[in-house]
Amino acid sequence: MNSKAPLSVPERVSPFKRDPALLPALAAVWVSLAVFVLYPVIRLFLVTFMAEGQLSFANLTAALSNWYDRQAFVNSLWLAAAVSAAGTLLGYVYAFAVTRIALPPWVKWLLGAVTILPLISPPFTSSIALTLSLGPNGILLKLLGVGNFNFYGFWGTWLSETLTYFPVAFMTLAAILSAVDPNLEDAALSLGASPGRVFRTVTLPLSIPGIANSVLLLFAGSLADFATPLVLAGHNFPVLPTQAYLQITGLYDLRGGAALSFLLLVPAMAVYVLQRFWVGKKSYVTISGKSGARSAFKSKGRLAEGLVTGVCFFVTAFILYLYSLILWGAMVKVWGVDNSLTLENFRYVFTHGRKAILDTLSVAAVATPLGGLLAVVVGYLSQRKKFFGNRAMEFFSLLNYALPGTVVGIAYIIAFNEKPLHITGTMTILVAAYMFRYSSAGIRAVIASLHQIDPSVEEASASLGASAARTFFRVTVPLVIPAVLMGMRYLFILSMTAISSTIFLVSVKWNLLTTRILECMTELQFAQACAFSVVLILLVFAATAVMAGLTRLAARRISGEGGRG
Amino acid sequence: MNRVRILVAALLMVAMAGSAAFASGELNAYSIMPEKYASQVFEAFTAETGIKVNFMRFSSGEALARVVAEKNNPQVDVILGGPADTYEAGIGEGVFEAYRPAGADMIPEKFRSPDNYWTGIGIIPLVFLTNTNFLKEKGLEAPVSWNDLLDPAYKNGLQMADTRTSGTATERIYSLVKIWGEDEAFVYQKKLHKNIQMYTKSGAGGAMPIATGQAASGIFYIVDALDIQQQGYPVALTYPVEGVSYGIEGSGILKGAKNMENAKKYMDWVSSKAFAQFIVDKKINYIPTRTDVEVTNPALDLSKMKLIEVDVAWKGEKRKEYVERWINEVIK
Repeated sequence: MNSKAPLSVPERVSPFKRDPALLPALAAVWVSLAVFVLYPVIRLFLVTFMAEGQLSFANLTAALSNWYDRQAFVNSLWLAAAVSAAGTLLGYVYAFAVTRIALPPWVKWLLGAVTILPLISPPFTSSIALTLSLGPNGILLKLLGVGNFNFYGFWGTWLSETLTYFPVAFMTLAAILSAVDPNLEDAALSLGASPGRVFRTVTLPLSIPGIANSVLLLFAGSLADFATPLVLAGHNFPVLPTQAYLQITGLYDLRGGAALSFLLLVPAMAVYVLQRFWVGKKSYVTISGKSGARSAFKSKGRLAEGLVTGVCFFVTAFILYLYSLILWGAMVKVWGVDNSLTLENFRYVFTHGRKAILDTLSVAAVATPLGGLLAVVVGYLSQRKKFFGNRAMEFFSLLNYALPGTVVGIAYIIAFNEKPLHITGTMTILVAAYMFRYSSAGIRAVIASLHQIDPSVEEASASLGASAARTFFRVTVPLVIPAVLMGMRYLFILSMTAISSTIFLVSVKWNLLTTRILECMTELQFAQACAFSVVLILLVFAATAVMAGLTRLAARRISGEGGRG
Repeated sequence: MNRVRILVAALLMVAMAGSAAFASGELNAYSIMPEKYASQVFEAFTAETGIKVNFMRFSSGEALARVVAEKNNPQVDVILGGPADTYEAGIGEGVFEAYRPAGADMIPEKFRSPDNYWTGIGIIPLVFLTNTNFLKEKGLEAPVSWNDLLDPAYKNGLQMADTRTSGTATERIYSLVKIWGEDEAFVYQKKLHKNIQMYTKSGAGGAMPIATGQAASGIFYIVDALDIQQQGYPVALTYPVEGVSYGIEGSGILKGAKNMENAKKYMDWVSSKAFAQFIVDKKINYIPTRTDVEVTNPALDLSKMKLIEVDVAWKGEKRKEYVERWINEVIK
């Protein structure tokens, strides 16, 4: 690897000729995207905007003429902007602490483990814990002697969504920051720059692809999130996905609700274009195949380090507190009334919820590897191969993520409840929904980390005579593996905890844990809902630990083979 | 190359469809009735008939959205529970099959669909649910009039359902309109709005905050309020002297049901005396629609409350108008 990189790029020939695997791979991706992304959306679009054989936007204009829906649109944008800004900032602070500050390993482990909590618990549960703490007569408010403040509305929703989504930012940014060679920073330091200046002029600019991706993911995530506002936004702060859901389930108006959801696509697309523009054509290459040994961390200034660790500590403590509330809720007989401990709620979970637990695990276990594969292939093709339509491919792969889950759910039932693809009521529909909706984080991460890898590394492999497939598997895949695994972990977690699209896709044959939790919430079985959440959290923790073990194993094998090859 | 082929095949595998085949001797159902009640009801049905039931629980709106989306290829045969208005909305979408169950004669006509698309299996009046710790703290009695809720002591303390999403909330408006007439009803709600802490999305959503003392009081269907009380929370249930209207909990068969015979057996059973007696015995908190069963719980005793009759068809006609008026006059 350290031998001289070839000076000239191989002659320009048709990419298809150079790489015979490209065409089938492209075809497979496009076929899957067409079937599971485009087709349902088009079907829903037709149901929404076709009236008596004619295209009609009456549904949309009706929604736009209504002050409440207009307000909801504006609120959604504000909320998404605030959540993506705060979440990315907090995620960056965490990522910085883990990758740039010399903390003891167990502290880093703790930070990583605790930040998974908000991700792996269904949003309803954490919203309820927040309400019990900061809502009217909340525990924390009483403890601190603070009077009631206006929790329902913007602040509650913003807080809850920021806590829920910042781990995504953390995961994305930690992958990026750990790939930025500290030698670059050290070089700047030894040239006399202050730690602050190094951060401003070296670290921060190099992490821009990560920041842009995190902003995009969080903005889209918040924009499409309906569960949190459902509990916390109240009537004063309507947001669009909740309005769409209410339009469908409350006013029995599928077309109106779907029209509102299509409206959501406009800001989602705008942010996508914006982040492309921002990341632009600049180079973020830090893995060039020419780097030397990694140096130890240099201090970043005591004040900055103190501030960063302080923030991490505070947020971590708050999250732990919230989840201990849920654990407590699962273990007592009647919250606040009869505080005697009981295992009755867990017994309920393992008898009445056993099928849901098994179903959830099977769906997640199947969706995760397939989604990881999708992420690598789409990320690689759209980033590395130049061919007609690769931008479109990248865009369509993100479409389902940007649409509110309820709409994806509805679109899937409309599209897949009849021939030729009758898959409602099966596991396939759930797996497909999760794969094509939640691989986005993996795809974004792969793209972001490919931004960092100098194509010359791959070209070196090619010029040494390796086939494109061999280069892909032996060079590219090992380099993007941290990003893929991050994406797979995210996909797995979301497959276990997703609720919005799931509501419409579960069936009498396939029932999932999150819908059971939602049921318990709406049926006022607070303790059972908490017990389900605790079990779900433990399952995801156990499963991610297994995945981490497998990863290490795989990484060792790949690097071992690479050494021989 | 080979590995690429395998990857491609794996990707395509997801595209392969597996069709669900339903065996006979089964019944598939969506339940709008809470899961903990539905599981008992279906268990009893299976014990009675030997027909195995697969079911899922949804809120009324979700269940309706699903059956409408699945119209061309219904995934379930029947719906258990859910307000009559949901069924009326479904009739408009053409998703229900008309069937007059064997026990229909013993169920008063006002509790059934005129065209037999749905049959009422229980009724649920509105009731005030109030946290008794709150009452003690403020030195108040539990509210017995709609006007009691206007007391400034309840400021920022009321949680009740949002009209746009919840049948409980529209029921509240129907009650008020029948008591005071349209304009007065909205004037009252405007005043009530000053004491509202939050309008919840689901009808029962406010019940838990009231149980835990985060909110003081609210208006709910009796089935949800009684449930909270039976769980042991410090709450009081009271009926307003002006009266309340009630919801009808229905059941019906979906058009194109794959197990039509079993679905009919099921409808016969839920309109039977045995079923009515079953929900009374099991403390499933609906008041049976059949006139030949005696209710034991005093909170469900019809003679202890003033019920206001509201025609189901009228509810369906007025719903949209009242919701819009509520958005533009009450919460704006």
